[in-house]
Amino acid sequence: MNQTRSVNNSASEIASVLVVVQASFSLMAGLSALPFAIVEPSFRVLGATTILMAAAMFLLARNLRRERRWAWRWLVAVEVVSLAMTVLLALLPIGSIRGPVPLLVNLVIPLAVLVLLAGAKSDARRAA
Amino acid sequence: MYDVAPAHASALTAAILLVAFCGLFLLLLRVLARRGLLQTAESLLAAVDRTAPMARLAAALMLASGAIHLPLVPGHAGITGILFVIDGVGFIVLGAAPFLVSWWRRPAILWLSATIVAYVVWVVAGWERPDQVGIACKLIELVALGLAMRLANPGRRTWPRRLWRATAFPLMACVTTLGIWVGGLAHPDSLHAHAGALLQPVAAVATPEEQRAAAKLLADTRASIARYQDPAAAVAAGFKPSPMSNADPLRHFVNAANANAVLDPNRPQAVVYAQTAHGLQLIGAMYQMKRAGQWGPDPGGPLTQWHQHEGICFSPFGFEFSFETPFWTCPVGSTSITTPPMLHVWIIDNGKNGPFAADLDKTVQRQLTGRS
Repeated sequence: MNQTRSVNNSASEIASVLVVVQASFSLMAGLSALPFAIVEPSFRVLGATTILMAAAMFLLARNLRRERRWAWRWLVAVEVVSLAMTVLLALLPIGSIRGPVPLLVNLVIPLAVLVLLAGAKSDARRAA
Repeated sequence: MYDVAPAHASALTAAILLVAFCGLFLLLLRVLARRGLLQTAESLLAAVDRTAPMARLAAALMLASGAIHLPLVPGHAGITGILFVIDGVGFIVLGAAPFLVSWWRRPAILWLSATIVAYVVWVVAGWERPDQVGIACKLIELVALGLAMRLANPGRRTWPRRLWRATAFPLMACVTTLGIWVGGLAHPDSLHAHAGALLQPVAAVATPEEQRAAAKLLADTRASIARYQDPAAAVAAGFKPSPMSNADPLRHFVNAANANAVLDPNRPQAVVYAQTAHGLQLIGAMYQMKRAGQWGPDPGGPLTQWHQHEGICFSPFGFEFSFETPFWTCPVGSTSITTPPMLHVWIIDNGKNGPFAADLDKTVQRQLTGRS
C-alpha cells in the first residue's frame, strides 16, 4: 500500500504544485513579451514585471511548502486579485474565457489554490 | 487560435462523466460499507482512505487523462490511434495503482513525462494540431506529474539532486508551453491566416455574381472614403485615431457612431492609414461586426472573407502587445481579447493578397512604411 510521508498529505503541498504551474505559465508569458519589446521599448517593463512576478510565485510556492505564514498571506492576496480580475474580464464582452483551458487556468486553478490555502490554515490550527 | 476541435468534444464529455461516475461510485461504496452489506466495499474504502491526498489527486487526474484519450481513438488513424489506446489504458491502470501498490510513483512519472513529450513532438512535427482538449489534457497531466514528483522522498540532499528537484517540473511545464506554441504557430490550419486571426469559413471558389459583388464593394468603399485622404477630415467626421505604436506601422481611425452599421460603405467602422515617411496615407477601410463570433455578410463569398483576432494580448491602453500562451496567459498589464469579426478593404494595390485580405501584403507594407 501507499507509504508516503505524512508531510505530503497537507493541502499546502498540493497548493504549492499548482502555484508552480501558474508561475511556469507566467514565466513563459513574460518571456513571450521580450521579442515585442525590441520594437516597442515600453513593453520591456511589462515583460520584465511578468518575469519578476513569476520568480516571486516560485519563491512563494517554495516557502508555502516550508509553512511560512508570510508566503501563505501573499499567495492568498495574489490568488484573490487574480480571481477577481478573471471574473471581471469574464463579465466583459471581450471573449477572455472561451473553452476549457482558460476556465481551468484562470478560474479553476486559482480557486483550487484558495480552497487549499484555507484547508492548510485549518490543518495548521488543528495541529496547534 | 486554440479552439475545441469538434471531433475532440466527446473527450471532454467522457472526462466530466468519469468525474461524476467516480463521485457516485465512492458514495455507493460508503453507503454499502456503512450498512455492512459488502465486505469488498469496506476494503476498497480503506485503501482509498489509506492513500495520501496528493496521491489520490494524482490518481484522479491520471484517470481523467485516460478518459480523455480513449474516446479520441476512432478519430486518430495509424500510429497515433494505437498510442492513444496504449496511453488511455496505461493511465487508467496507473490511476488505480496508488490505491493498490506502493511502487506506482516512478512508473507514473515516466508515463506522464513520455506522454507530454510525445504530444509536444507530435505537435511540433505537425502530426497533431493543438486544440483546447489536447492542451487541457496536458495541463491535467502536468499537474499530476508535479504531484507525483513532489511525493518523492528527499533521499540524499546533494546539490545536484536538490537543483534537479527544484527545476525539473517547472522546466517541463515551460518546455510543454513552448512546444505547443511553436507547433501551433508553425502549422496553422486553413482558417488561421496568420497567428491570431481566425478566418470565416467560406466556399472554395467565387461565383461570377460574387466576383461582381466584391468589385462593387471595393468601388463603393473607395468612393466613400476618398473624402478622408486628409486624416483631419476623418477626425472631423468623428473617427478617433488608435494609439501610436512602434510595433504597428498601420493606424486605424475608429468611428464609434458607425458601430451599428453592417457592411455599409458610407459608414465604415474604421479607416486605415499607413505611417509613411511623408505622414499618414489613406490605404483602406475596415468593417466590423458588433460581437465576437458573429460573422458579417460576405457578398463576394470567398473573396470577402471576414476574420476575427483571438489569442492576442491587448493592454488596457489599447495597443496590441503579444500572443497569449497556449495555456491562455498574457503578460502582466494585458489581457486576452477576442475581437468581433472584421473585413478590411484595401483601396491601394495590395499585391498578391488582394483587396480584402486580413493583412496588408508584406512587400506593399515595406514599400509604404519602410517596415515589414
